[in-house]
Amino acid sequence: MSKQIKSLLQQAELYRSQGLLGEAKKKYKLVEELISGSDKLPNKQKLLDGLSKKMEALNKDVEVIEKAPTTPEMSAHVNELIKKLFSFSSKDKDESDSALEGAIALAKFGQFEGALEEFQKLLDVKSQRLSAAKNILRCHLEMGNIETASEKLEEWQKGDMLAPEQKEKLAVFYDDILEKKGLKKEPVIEDEAAGAADQEETAEEEEEFLDISAVAITFDSGPYKGEQVELDVSFQSGNVISLIISSKDEALIENLKVGVRLDDVHFYSPVAIFRGAGLVSAMTQIKSGPKKGDYSLDIKIESL
Amino acid sequence: MAVFNLKKREIECKIVYYGPGRCGKTTNLEYIFKAYKKQVEGEMVSINTEGDRTLFFDFLPMELGKIKGCDVRVQLFTVPGQVQYSSTRKLVLRGVDGVVFVADSLEVRREKNMLSLKDLQQNLKDYGLNIFKIPLILQYNKRDLADEGMPIMPIEKMEKDLNRQLKVPSFPGSAVKGEGVGITLQECLKRTLNSLQKQFNWAQK
Repeated sequence: MSKQIKSLLQQAELYRSQGLLGEAKKKYKLVEELISGSDKLPNKQKLLDGLSKKMEALNKDVEVIEKAPTTPEMSAHVNELIKKLFSFSSKDKDESDSALEGAIALAKFGQFEGALEEFQKLLDVKSQRLSAAKNILRCHLEMGNIETASEKLEEWQKGDMLAPEQKEKLAVFYDDILEKKGLKKEPVIEDEAAGAADQEETAEEEEEFLDISAVAITFDSGPYKGEQVELDVSFQSGNVISLIISSKDEALIENLKVGVRLDDVHFYSPVAIFRGAGLVSAMTQIKSGPKKGDYSLDIKIESL
Repeated sequence: MAVFNLKKREIECKIVYYGPGRCGKTTNLEYIFKAYKKQVEGEMVSINTEGDRTLFFDFLPMELGKIKGCDVRVQLFTVPGQVQYSSTRKLVLRGVDGVVFVADSLEVRREKNMLSLKDLQQNLKDYGLNIFKIPLILQYNKRDLADEGMPIMPIEKMEKDLNRQLKVPSFPGSAVKGEGVGITLQECLKRTLNSLQKQFNWAQK
């Protein structure tokens, strides 16, 4: 038996040295059972005491690992690297797209302070303003700062940085995430905001940024039957995404009439692809600007 | 998602080391960093937590020089293996061109290997990639532990568990001793560059 105990202890030590603490623990337990169940071991209590010390040390190791922060604040150098490595848009195309992706990556890695700095800068870029504002609110909520998020929203609602329709979309977005997180919403515009004292950090760990950058639609009827068509998202508000369709693509326009249900859609977010369904909720022809004549199509995301 | 600059004739690709926690992904990169100094471009970055566990990722940039008239750069990444870091793992996998799956040869880690491979398959799928099509190499790591009397799985068993359907190249390894590390990387690079050749036709004939 002592040979068996020795071998098990040796394995436990090796697992521990490999960082396989769960496996090490199992081996120690086995040894404990063996020793406890034996009447022949002369130094039984001494062995059990020794083993207990080993298990205690192992438990401490486990505790240290379990208590380690999952998103510690990183150095500026690491944050720069994260931004560089996890922004996938070509900087030659639009530097602000790349900057937005970098900032979202920082937020995904839990680097909220760094992400907030980046999103703040992007508020100066007209085309990214709404996305940046949404993500600023997200970050504050992830950090448990619901009051700051609400104050920010109120500030933007009162100011003229955002267009009226953007303000509305932002308010809807904020409402949605508060609801998803089970947080009671504070009044947004009214100054006489009343008692929100009980609205403390019940934020969950889940933190998906469901900003959709592109979609791939597989058609089950019409001229594109069986084909998959990829389209970039030009704008998003909550669960409604807007796409631009060239006026030349008559077949696609034909396929995407208002009310058409799209059962097989891949939604591309900056960090993942989700498969789901959508409903064509609006189609309007663009009256001016470089896309004049093309169509702006709204798809309501029904499931992801 | 390799970056190909036609004008400068430069290609940059991304290889990710995947596998269960504590299987030796970081050790692979550490060995590459030491053994391939000439090709390493800059420093290896490791973002760890307690117990030397990878928290976010390890990153090692390499410059392979000119291959078929093109300057080839490679970014090597590891993912955090622990189950609880699934969202980070997925994030790191984004834009991957080739994968090295590091499996732990220890008998007690058999199920973890299989779960991790399944996790890889699902994450690739979420990015629209197919595990059967992406350049993939398996490495059966920690073979050296047999010498210390530890119960490890025979290669045949690991092949059955992990490679029965995939049928990709696999290599035994001991990352801590550097055994099998080079060949694993070389084979993955070869397959990745061939795959990119089919997509971009980057190589000069």
